[in-house]
Parts: sequence; structure tokens; C-alpha cells
Amino acid sequence: MTRYVLRRLVLAIPTLFGIVVIVFVLVHLAPGSPVSGGGEALRRPTGRAAEELRRLYGLDRPIPERFGAWVSRAVRFDLGESFVDRRPVGERIREALPHTLLLNGVALILALVIAVPLGVVAGGHPEGALDRVSGVALFALYSTPTFWMALLLQSLFSVQLGWLPLYGVASDPAPSGLAGLVDRLAHVALPATCLAYGTLAFVARLVRSGIAETREADYVLAARARGASRRRALWTHAFPNAILPLLTLFGLLLPALLSGSVIVERIFAWPGLGRLFFDSILARDYPVILGLSLLSAVATLGATLVSDIASAAADPRVRDGTAT
Amino acid sequence: MRRAWAAFTVLVLAAACRGRSEAPSARADVARSGSPPSSSTPALAALDAASEGTPVAVDGGTLQRRLLGEPTSLNAVLQTSLPEAQVLQYVQRNLFDFDAALHLVPGLAASMQVSPDGREYVITLRPEAVWEDGKPVTADDAVFTIRKIADPGIPAPVFQSLYDGLERVEALDSRRFRTVFREAYAFREMAFVMPVLPAHRFEGRDFRKAPDNRAPLSSGPYRVAAWKSGESVELARNPAYWGPRGHFDRIVLRIAPDNTTAYRMLLAGDLDEDQMDATLKARAESEPRFSDCCRLVEFYTLDWSYVALNNRSPFFEDARVRRALTMLSDRAAAARDLYRGSARVISGPWAPDSPAYDASLPPLPFDPAAAKALLAEAGWRDSDGDGTLDRDGRKFAFDLTVPAGFETGRQVSEMLAAELAHAGVTARVRTLEWAAFIERVDAGEFEAASLAWSAVDPNPDPYPYWHSSQCPPHGLNNGCYRNPEADRLMEEARRELDPSKRTALFHRLQRIFRDDAPAIFLVNSTQKFGFDRAVRGVTTSPLGLSGIWPGPVGWFMEPIPRASTSVKRPAA
Repeated sequence: MTRYVLRRLVLAIPTLFGIVVIVFVLVHLAPGSPVSGGGEALRRPTGRAAEELRRLYGLDRPIPERFGAWVSRAVRFDLGESFVDRRPVGERIREALPHTLLLNGVALILALVIAVPLGVVAGGHPEGALDRVSGVALFALYSTPTFWMALLLQSLFSVQLGWLPLYGVASDPAPSGLAGLVDRLAHVALPATCLAYGTLAFVARLVRSGIAETREADYVLAARARGASRRRALWTHAFPNAILPLLTLFGLLLPALLSGSVIVERIFAWPGLGRLFFDSILARDYPVILGLSLLSAVATLGATLVSDIASAAADPRVRDGTAT
Repeated sequence: MRRAWAAFTVLVLAAACRGRSEAPSARADVARSGSPPSSSTPALAALDAASEGTPVAVDGGTLQRRLLGEPTSLNAVLQTSLPEAQVLQYVQRNLFDFDAALHLVPGLAASMQVSPDGREYVITLRPEAVWEDGKPVTADDAVFTIRKIADPGIPAPVFQSLYDGLERVEALDSRRFRTVFREAYAFREMAFVMPVLPAHRFEGRDFRKAPDNRAPLSSGPYRVAAWKSGESVELARNPAYWGPRGHFDRIVLRIAPDNTTAYRMLLAGDLDEDQMDATLKARAESEPRFSDCCRLVEFYTLDWSYVALNNRSPFFEDARVRRALTMLSDRAAAARDLYRGSARVISGPWAPDSPAYDASLPPLPFDPAAAKALLAEAGWRDSDGDGTLDRDGRKFAFDLTVPAGFETGRQVSEMLAAELAHAGVTARVRTLEWAAFIERVDAGEFEAASLAWSAVDPNPDPYPYWHSSQCPPHGLNNGCYRNPEADRLMEEARRELDPSKRTALFHRLQRIFRDDAPAIFLVNSTQKFGFDRAVRGVTTSPLGLSGIWPGPVGWFMEPIPRASTSVKRPAA
């Protein structure tokens, strides 16, 4: 097992390096430059001033040299300074990170809490009424565009009913104590719902198909033969086996916690990583783009590693390399 | 004519706000510049009814304004975009400002003396002007600021070009300083519509990373009380302010990037002011929920749009062809249908409210028959009968590039492409992301491009944009228009210190621009804002709401109790 973990860790390093190289090259080869600024610039530097700016940003140096400088800083956990406001990239990410973690964490919990029981119940009676209805509903949800859902939810819950806040992370001024917590949760409700429903549909269908397969398995039939109730057979015998693919899925879902959603964060004026990423791309703020890409690459690799190790721990065939 | 490129209609057509000066005072409610377009008459009528009788300015309350994005820096020299300018207007006074009529009025400075040769400016600061920490605003501060602006190692894109010809700047005593330029320039005084930074706060610090860039020392009526990244900037009164105080106790500038959300925030009372696009304006006009709480303020600014033509391209090197393209474009229909009436057709590179514009000169007519004749005269004929014009074996087909997000620009381009197709000219409308788009335009690597100017100040100088010496890659004459007669007039206008003679030169230039059609000049359109009905003292100007002094600093809240939003009103 230790050898397996070590092997995976060692393999992760060239993967990470590959990702970083590709992102670095793509970012620098894309048309446009940090000197042009965003479309909102009052005046753009031109001529000599633009050349000076390019030098200031180090853009006059060849790409390999820039890459070397960036890597040598990055391995020391220094992501450099934003071109836009000259603040450390780490500081800008740290400011936005908690907002995105909260939003995506709530969205993920919301999705799982609904999706798993729904999937189990639907998979327990494949082709039953609930399975059919939920199947159609989930596909409809999965294919609903987020921006449309966001505007719809805002219209209904904030404008028409006035139950939930329209935008932002907290009221101004924010109440303290329990009222403050309720206020934060009220603010997160709509954007989290927007982020959750797609995942929900996806996870529910995955659980459902796992359950539908395993409910016919010999060990489940054996449990039933020994007198276990249908419900017990489903939850204690079929479910743990059906959940295995979910472990792999977690490898994909967890890094999503860090990757903000541009659309949802923009519509709900949520100051998270998605907006930071989007704005940085528009402004060609290379250090911030690279910092955020590195963060999500590390998160993806880390989560994949953890889910692989969890699968290996749960299934000897995986770590022996004998899985078929 | 120092201007900003505008990409997104709503996001950017807002003019810059670098204006501030003089006392915020009770004034007539709305001074509109330019005549309002007819389609908005009902809303404007309501506005007028509401402002019957001169309202008396009331102190107190909170004003909630919208920022489109996060300010990058609150160092006034380093500012680059509208959000910074919107915040800084409350916090940093300029030496001079434009008033609503675009006249220069004193701010931190009390007076300006110009040498007879027009190269030397001696500026005297107000003796009462102090910083938030009580220290006086000195000539050393102004000299420090100008040197930073002129320092090529400092990214100061908003001000740098104003000091291009700077020879030297020096303090004469604690209140007076002298700025010497290499040559006289007719619009030089506009260089002094600039902020002043407190030199003592930057001593021994990296200018680009000083703490003051996040929490600036105020010289204006408000100071920064809080800056929540990605959420809002809050301002409170500056107790040390030396001028007449602002009316609001507190100003909250909320970051709301999405237009629909911002519109809903306005309806919900979470914003008191919101800039709108044509679609939201149409919605506001039909929604009782809007008229219950809010009013529409619409006015013409110095912004205008056009299709740049690359005069070096074999398609557009002939003025007859460029003129023909303009005449194939039904600009009046675009103004009526695409801008919903909130636009007027222009005949040259200025807005009608610019002092340089000659309103008596009509734009080229929409005349497809005459246009086709012009094209034929220039050698463009459909020789192979495939429906597309050709000359020397080359088809008349070009790319018309539009920046992404510039919705009206894209619509106008599609309409133009359809009109050109009738005459056998193929324009392929291509959308490019902004940074990629503008890089190509700056480099002169385009055939035709849809663009809009957003006026940062009223300088009408066409030299940087149309003089033959300013072709890419080093200048802003993107289409590389060349006309020796126009060159001469532009040079003369820059040197002409008599405003009326200058205007005459601009009028002659406008006729040349119209007939030479270096670009397809389209329209001057309005800016549209939704306002909470209780906000008073709003003054519009050709520079927008914010580009003038006192501008938003003169706004106040009328104490009308209203059920939905009464919570934020000051006590009557």
C-alpha cells in the first residue's frame, strides 16, 4: 500500500509540471496583453508608455526565461504580484477563497444530501414510477442553463416573494451571532442552489445506476434469502458497493470546490475565485491566472490521489493492479 | 481629444470621472445637456414634474452607487478604469475640474497663470487646502505628483499623455509651482485636471505598493472608511475637509458586475443609481415597479461610435470607396431601430455637443444609388456576375471585427453588412475578445473594426487619432488616415490659442473628415441611468454624471418618506 501511494505521488510531479507548462505557454501565446487592460480602461498606454509597461511586467523577456523565473518563485510558494493592483497573488486568492469554499461547500452538501437518497430509492425500483419521474426531472435539471436558473430564482425568491437576498455574501451592516449565521446562509442559498442542481442530477443518476446494478448481485440476493428486509438489503448490502464509483467521482467534485463559477458569482455579486479568474483573464493578469491554475491543478491532482488511495484501500484489486 | 476606447456599451460608455471642484450646493435639479431623445419623453416628463420648485439640499443619509468592478488602486495617479475614478472623485480633489458646461473651474488650485509664449504655467494652490491628517496641500505635493506621472517607470495611463511634452516642473514656494512644457499647446490647461498626492505618505516607499494605494489620504469631502474586496467601498465624511461638505453622511459603492442584478438592486432599494443599457431602459419604461421607485435620467454625452476602416488596405485606400460605404449605411435607421431613438447621426469625429462640432454640416446622405456609382468610378464592378464587386481579380470582401460584449456595435455591424451586401460588398462580421481585438486595432492589423469613443475630457484635438504621423504601431491613428491638408489644419489647431479661430479650423476639418470618410462615422448615443426618486441635485453633462465637479458630490437625498425604501432616508 505504501509503495502504491509513493508511486502515485512521484507520478503526480511530472503531471503537475506538464499542466503548469501548458497553462504558462497558452496564457502567454493568447492574443492580447496586460498592457491593453480591460475594456473599461479610461485611457490605454500607447507608444513609449506601453513599452515601459511591458518592461515593467517583464514581457520584454523571452518566454522560457519568464517561465524559469516564475517556477523558481512558485516552488518557494511565491506566486508573484498581480499586474493589476501590484498586490501579492497569494493575498488576492486568500481573499476570494473563503467565499468560494463556502458557496461550493454548501452547494456540494446540498447536492449530495438530495442526490444520494434519491438515487438509492430510484435505483431500488428501476423503471418504477419514482425512477421514471425523477429521471425525466433530473435530465431537465441537468440541461437547464445556470444563468437562466439564477435569474429565475432571483425573480421568484428575491423580487416576487422577497424571502431571500438578491446578491452578496452578507447584509450591510451584517448582524452578529446567530442572526449573522442565518444571514450568511440566506445569502448563500440561491447561488448554492444554482451550483448544486447540475451536480445533483449527475450524482443521483450515478448512484441510481450503481444501485440498480448491485441490487441484483448475488450477495444482495443472499442477504434477502437470509431474511433481510428489502430496505436493509438495499442500504447495508447494495449501497456500500454501489458507492465505490462515487469515491472516484469525489476526485472530480472536490477540486470543483475551489473552481468558482463565473456566471453564478457574477450574477449574485459573489466575490469568489470564479470572478477573480474571469477578471484576470480579461485583464491578461498573468500572475493571477497562473496562480489560480496552479491552485486548481494541485487540488485536482490531490483529490484524484486521495480518491485513488481510498479506492485502493477499499478494493485490493486496485492496489495490486489486478482490477479489470 | 483625449479619449478612452469603449468596449462594452453599458459597461464602458460611461465617461470617466476626473472632475471635481467648487462647492456642492443646492442647485436646479437637472441641467440636461443636449436635447433628450423623443422616445424617453414620458420618463423625462416625470423627472421634470418631480423637480418642480428648487429643492433645498438636505444633509444626511446614505447614497448607494454601483461599481462595475473592483477598483484596482486608489492611488489617483495609478488609476486606470471607471471604478477607481468613481471612488476617487469623493476622496481626491483635482487641481482644476470641468463644470457641467465644460469650463475649467478651480479645485485644489486657486489660479493659473500662463506665460505669453504658452509654455509656462504657474499654479497657485488654495491656502486652506489640507490633507485628512491636517497637513497643508503644498506645491511640493503637486511637483511630486507630476514627476510621478511623467516617470515612464510608473504606469499612469490616464495622465501620462497629458505630460508628454514636459520640460520641467518646480516648486516656487510652498503654495506655487511652475510647469514648463517644450512647446505651447492649445489644450494644455487640461493637463491640470489632475489629482495631487501627499508626497509625505510615499517617502521611502515603493510608489506602486504604498499602503496609501488601498487607503488614500483624502483631500476631498469624503475618506475611505472600508474596502471589502469584491463587495464594496464605503466612504465617510472627511472631518478635515477644507471645502463645503458633501450632503450624504455615508456613501456605499457596491460592486455589481451584472446589469440585470444591478437593475433589481435599484428596484429593491439596494442601489440609488444604476447605469442601464437600451434593453433595460425599455424594460424600465414599461414596468410600474420601476416608475414606483425610480426615474430615468437620459442625456447625450461626447461619446460616439464608428467603423474604423484601414486606409492602408487595398479596399479602403480610395476616399470614394470609403464615402460610398458611409452612404450605403442607413445610419438614421440604426439610430431609430437599434438605438431605439436614443442616438443622432454624426458627420465627423466629434459628438454634436463638442465645441469642435459644426452642427450645420449634414452627414453624408444614405444614398445607395450614388454610392454604387462611386464604387464603379473607383473601379469596383461585378465583372463576373457573381453578385460581388471585384477589381483586378480581387473580390470586395473584408472582415468587420467587433469586440465581444459590445452588443449594439455588433448589431450595427450586422445591419451594415446586410446593407453592403445589397451593393455587392461582402463584410464578414467577426467577434473578438476585447484584449485580442484592441491589440490588433492598435497594431493596425485589421480591415474594418467597430469602435466607440468614450470621452474622458472635452479635448477635441484630432491630431493623435487622425494625423498621418500617428499611424500604427506607435500612434492611435489606427486606420492610418493620411491627408496633407487635414494634417496641416490639425497642426495649426494645436497651436492656435484663440478659441474662435480654433473652432473655425475644426469646422474646416470636419468637412474634410466627412468627405474623405477616413472611417464610417455613425452616431452619438445617450447615457441612461435609473435613479431612486429621492436622489436630487443630479447634474448631467457631456462628460456624463461623474466627469464633472461637483457632479455626484452635489447629490442629496430628499426626505420623502416612501414605504419600500424609507429605511435609508434621513429623518425628515
